[in-house]
Amino acid sequence: MIRYILRRLVLMIPVALLVTVGVFALARISPVDPVLVFAGEERDPAMLEAIRHQLGLDQPLPVQYVAWLSHALQGDLGRSFQNKQRVTEAISERLPATFELGLAALVISVTLALVIGILSAVKRNSVVDLLSTSITLMGVSFPSFFLGVVLILLFAYVIPGRIFPPGGFVPITTDVGENLRRLVLPAITLATGSLALNLRQVRSSLLEVFGHEYMRTARAKGLRESAVIIRHALKNALIPVVTLIGIQIGAIIEGAVITETIFSWPGVGRLAVQAIPSHDYPVVQGVVLVSALSFMLSTLLVDVLYAWLDPRISYESVTA
Amino acid sequence: MAGATLPLTLGRARTEQLASAAYFLRRNPRMIIGGLIVLLWVFVALFAPFVAPYDPKAVKVDEALQPPNPQHWFGTDDLGRDMLSRVIWGARISLSVGLISVSIGLLVGTSLGLAAGYLGGKFDLFIMRGIDALLAFPALILAIGITSALGPQIQNAMIAIGIVAIPGYARLTRGQVLAVRAREFIVAARTIGAPPLRIVMRHVFPNVMNALIVQATLSTAFAILAEAALSFLGLGTQPPDPSWGQDINYSQRYLPNLKWWMSVAPGLAIFSAVFAFNFLGDALRDALDPRLRRSG
Repeated sequence: MIRYILRRLVLMIPVALLVTVGVFALARISPVDPVLVFAGEERDPAMLEAIRHQLGLDQPLPVQYVAWLSHALQGDLGRSFQNKQRVTEAISERLPATFELGLAALVISVTLALVIGILSAVKRNSVVDLLSTSITLMGVSFPSFFLGVVLILLFAYVIPGRIFPPGGFVPITTDVGENLRRLVLPAITLATGSLALNLRQVRSSLLEVFGHEYMRTARAKGLRESAVIIRHALKNALIPVVTLIGIQIGAIIEGAVITETIFSWPGVGRLAVQAIPSHDYPVVQGVVLVSALSFMLSTLLVDVLYAWLDPRISYESVTA
Repeated sequence: MAGATLPLTLGRARTEQLASAAYFLRRNPRMIIGGLIVLLWVFVALFAPFVAPYDPKAVKVDEALQPPNPQHWFGTDDLGRDMLSRVIWGARISLSVGLISVSIGLLVGTSLGLAAGYLGGKFDLFIMRGIDALLAFPALILAIGITSALGPQIQNAMIAIGIVAIPGYARLTRGQVLAVRAREFIVAARTIGAPPLRIVMRHVFPNVMNALIVQATLSTAFAILAEAALSFLGLGTQPPDPSWGQDINYSQRYLPNLKWWMSVAPGLAIFSAVFAFNFLGDALRDALDPRLRRSG
C-alpha cells in the first residue's frame, strides 16, 4: 500500500509541474502589461522600469518561471496588484468561508442522495423513483446561477417575512444563528449540481449490487430486508459514491465561484472573480493553482481510499 | 432482368431502413424529445433575424420593465428591450459557442488521442501527461483562468471552453484506438504496408466515430452552460449584445422590485437547451453502444 501511494506521488510530480507551467503561462499570455496594472495611475517610465525590474519581469521567461515556482514552493504566491496584500494571506483568509459553504452543500447533497437514492432503488418505478430521476435530469441541466436567482427571488422577496436574506456573510464566531440563516440558500444552490450526480450514482450502484448472488444468499439466510440493504448492499454500493464525494471535495472552490458571486459570500471563488476586472493576475493565478492542486490531491486520496476500501483492486496493476 | 430487379431491391432496402428507423425512434422517446428541442433551438438561432419580433438592442424607455404581455411575451428589461428577442438572439451566441468550442475540442483532442494511441511510446507518454495536467484543473476554473488572461470576450470564451473540452476527446479517442489497434483488420492493413495515416483515417477513426458523436453532444451541453456561466461572471459576451448568462446577471439588480421575467426567460432558455443536449446525448449513448442496446 505504501509503495502504491509513493508511486502515485512520484507520478504526480510531472503533472504538477505541468500544472504550474500552465498557471504561470496564464499571466504571461495576457495582452495587458502587468507592470501598468501594478503601477496603477503612475506612468513615469523610470518608475515603470524600476517596478519591472523589481518584479523580475525583465528576465527571460524560463528564469521568471523558476523564480515564481521557487517562491510558490515556499508558500509565496506574490502580492495582489490591487491592494498589495500577500496572495497566500488573501486566500487563507477566505478559505474558511469557502469550506463552510462547501461542507454545508456536501452534507445536504450526500444526505438527500442517500435517502432518495436508496428509496428509489428499493422501490423501483415508484413515485420516489420518478422523483429521483427528475432530480437527476433537472440537476445536471439547471444552471446554478439561475437556481440561486430563483431562490433569492422566492425566499428573500416573494415570500413575506424574508425567511432567508438575499446574500452576505456573518462569521460563525459573531452570530451562529445569523451565519446559518445566510448559509441556507447558497448551500442549497451549490448542493443541487452534486446532488444530481450523487443520486444517480447511489441509485445505479445499488441496482447493480441488487443483481449479485450474495444478495440472494443474504435474503435466503432469512435476514431482514433492512439488514440486507444496509449491511450487504450499501457497503458495496457506496464505494463508487465515496469516490465521487472525494472528487467533489477537491472541486469545492470551482463550485463556489458562481455561488459566492451570487450571494456575496466572501470566499476564495469570489476573490478570483473580483480580481479579474482589475487584471490582478497574482490573485487569479493563486486561486487557479490552489484549486488545481487541491483537485489533484483529492483525486490521489480518492484513489488510495478506493484501493483500501475495495480489496479487489490490485495496487500493482495501477500504473497511472 | 437483373437491371430491373436491382432498383426494386434497393427500394425495398430503403423502405426497410425507414421502417427500422421509425421503430427505433418510437422505442427511444428521449431521442425524439431531445432532438426536437435541439432542432427548435437550431432553427431559432439560424433564423433569429426573422423569428425575433424586435431588435434585441433597441432601447424603448417608454416600455421599460413591462411584465409579459401580448406585445412582449417575455416582458421587457429596464431599457425597454424585448426579452423574447434577446432570448432568441442569445440562442445564436450560445449555440455558436457550443459549435465552435466543441469543434476545437473535437479537432485537437481527437488528433492528439489518435496520434497518442496509435504511435504509443514516448509520444503517448508526453501527450497524456499534458492531458493529465489539463484534467488536473477543475473545468470552470480553467475556463475562467484562460478567459481572464486573454481578456473578457466571447471569442476568448470559445477558445477557453474548447481547451477545457480537449482532454475528454483525447482520452476517449486514445482508449478506443488502444482497443482496436491489436484487432486483425488493423494488423492486416499494417502487414500489407498501408501507411500509418491511412490506417488511422480509414480503419481506426470510423471505429471511434460513435463514441465521439455521443461525447460531442454531451459536451455541447457543457459548452452552453459554461458560456452562460462565463457571461454571468462578465467574462463572455459583453453588453449590449444579448446573452443568456449575462442577462441573468443583469437582472439581479431588479430582483427586489420583483421583475422576475428578466431572469426567468433567459434561465429557462439555458435550462431547455442544456437539458435537450444532455437528453439527446444520453439517448445516443444508449443507442450507439451495442452493449447497452442489447441489454435495453
